[in-house]
Amino acid sequence: MIRENAWRFKLVGALFFVLPVLILFQVVRVRVDPVKAGEILEKGKEYSGQYKTITPPRGRIYDRFGFLLASNVEVYEVGIELQDVKNPKTIAQTLSMVLGLDYTQVLGAASREASENLVYVVLTDNVSQEKIMQLETIVKNMEATYGSSRGKDVPSLRGLVYRPHLMRTFTEKSTGSNIVGMVNFEGKGFYGVEGKYNELLAGEKATIFVSFDPNRVQELPKIAEGASLILTIDREIQRAMEEILDDAIVSSGSESGTMIVMDPQTGEVLAMATTPRLDLNEYWNYQKIFTKDTPFNKAISQAYEPGSVFKPLTMAAALDTGTVTPDTKFIDTGVFEIGGIYIYNWNQGAWGPQDMQGCLQHSLNVCLAWVASQVGAKDFYQYMRAFGIGQLTGIDLAGETPGRLKIPGDEDWYDADLGTNAFGQGVAATPIQMATSISAIANGGTMMAPHIVRSIINEGYQHDIENRVVGMPIKAETAKTLTNLLSRSLELESSDALIEGYRVAGKTGTAEIPTPFGYTSNATNASFVGWGPLDSPQFLVYIWLEKPESSPWGSVVAAPVFRQAVEKLVVLMNIPPDAIRESLFGQ
Amino acid sequence: MILVVIALVAVFYLHISAEAAKIGREIQKMQGTIEVREREIEDLQSKLAMLMSSAEMRRRAEAMGFQASIPDETMYILISGYDERQPAVLAPSSSRQVVRAPVTPPEYSESLLDWLDRSFAKYILPKLEVKP
Repeated sequence: MIRENAWRFKLVGALFFVLPVLILFQVVRVRVDPVKAGEILEKGKEYSGQYKTITPPRGRIYDRFGFLLASNVEVYEVGIELQDVKNPKTIAQTLSMVLGLDYTQVLGAASREASENLVYVVLTDNVSQEKIMQLETIVKNMEATYGSSRGKDVPSLRGLVYRPHLMRTFTEKSTGSNIVGMVNFEGKGFYGVEGKYNELLAGEKATIFVSFDPNRVQELPKIAEGASLILTIDREIQRAMEEILDDAIVSSGSESGTMIVMDPQTGEVLAMATTPRLDLNEYWNYQKIFTKDTPFNKAISQAYEPGSVFKPLTMAAALDTGTVTPDTKFIDTGVFEIGGIYIYNWNQGAWGPQDMQGCLQHSLNVCLAWVASQVGAKDFYQYMRAFGIGQLTGIDLAGETPGRLKIPGDEDWYDADLGTNAFGQGVAATPIQMATSISAIANGGTMMAPHIVRSIINEGYQHDIENRVVGMPIKAETAKTLTNLLSRSLELESSDALIEGYRVAGKTGTAEIPTPFGYTSNATNASFVGWGPLDSPQFLVYIWLEKPESSPWGSVVAAPVFRQAVEKLVVLMNIPPDAIRESLFGQ
Repeated sequence: MILVVIALVAVFYLHISAEAAKIGREIQKMQGTIEVREREIEDLQSKLAMLMSSAEMRRRAEAMGFQASIPDETMYILISGYDERQPAVLAPSSSRQVVRAPVTPPEYSESLLDWLDRSFAKYILPKLEVKP
């Protein structure tokens, strides 16, 4: 019996011998071959856990008083787990009804066979919680009604899944949109602070391995979260300025408008209103709204010939160099020849004997061209460079352009340019450049760097951005003299910019718009720049209305906008009238 | 006797392993909950901000009969000790030093064998290295 079965024992014995040898051989082979070992370890890791990408919430954006301008809201990605689908028709019908998706497309997607390479199909994304709750109710009702039924055509939403994630949302919609910027579907910021600080706001994505084995659970690594920003913008001022600007554009028939409110003592931009604007929650309308070459933010991205609002800079250079004093006399004959061209006044008239007060008050091109010629090209352009004309201001917004200031030595600079530049022609500057340069006059000769971000909150700490001096283009005494000249000019002209109870200084500007054939168009750019209260300036307002139709003059269309703006500003900024302020301080 | 001791150690080890696995699973669940809560906080903050948006606040103010103030109607009174509205401070200043909470100690994540290994390295090995 034993002998008869001996071969069986030998076979079992051989198997018991061969199998361990094979296992040992395989172990040695794997150990010896590190590539193979790596592959096997990697394969083993696949089954022991999963890689998970953690996207930190994008940092928030607040206005200067802590009101949210941009934050994140929970939305859902809706998709189908193909291997779980029971009835594609029910899924297609439900999603077309609740989410408005195309029935045929959803049916096609839900009917696909699951394979090794295809297990999940995304149908739509950024679905609101309300819609998901509707879907959940339908799923619940369907399970209750048909859950126990069997058969191919039994209605079922099995396979339908929704995954939550965060999406950018903008509380103030289009208010301040040109400053805030937008965020696309992939979470990348464009324009404004969203574009400028994209990497800081986005934080750092991290992929980590999460083990299925609870014994190997690890503390989640600390991921660099997106930093939050506190802006210098006051949302109430921003909204008020946008309303005033929109009304001004409609009433003047202007093509577009821009308005900047800044604190000349700190460089903080309190409001920056431009048109067109975009509801940032509907960023996909960008191309419809910003047609052709329309910049996202004209205040920083569109240079234009500013016209007479440039004259304070010319006068500042002349006063600072001592070339003229307020009492310097000039006989205005109505024409001034420089570099082979003739300069005329805005009304083509001759204004006779004038002092510098009269030159500014009547905005005389002839006088200012003469003043520039007396200063001389070298000093004049040195001053203009010191004021930052033709250079980036460095404002912390994406898309700033430097404008253009031709200087002696440039191929396209001619002697005549000194005369025309004196009254803001032949020079291109952005509104933020103009506001910054003139803020030096308002701030006693010290020019502050314009900025939008007040503080950065990173890793639980608030880092306040220090106000930065970018230059002192003129002496304090010059700034004071010029401020008085400009303030007196407004008063003598009974300007529409004047506000009862508040002493302000300012200058109008009307600039012809150059065409490829010269200044042949009747269209103008109307501007106004003003600041106050004069004893301690807290606001500087720069206004630009593009191609107004009701009147071409800045004094008619832009000066009243300044008054409206200041009437709002003094209330929103709690600035009492001069007399009351003096009496209050006296107490 | 040996078998009993081995069985006791095995039971003890099994119990510790089961407890560790249970705690590990709870940690995983809590990590998931933290993720959900963080999303909810973000979402609720956004919804609160929408309710306090300038347009919404104005609508509510107008509904209650308020209207925007104009300079002529504004009265200024000096109140000693009143500080005007200050820009937002939403986090401690970066100049302040804050002591961070310690990281999770190894006892919370290591296995029994890891602990024995660490204890061995900590208490036994240094003694073995001591020379007479």
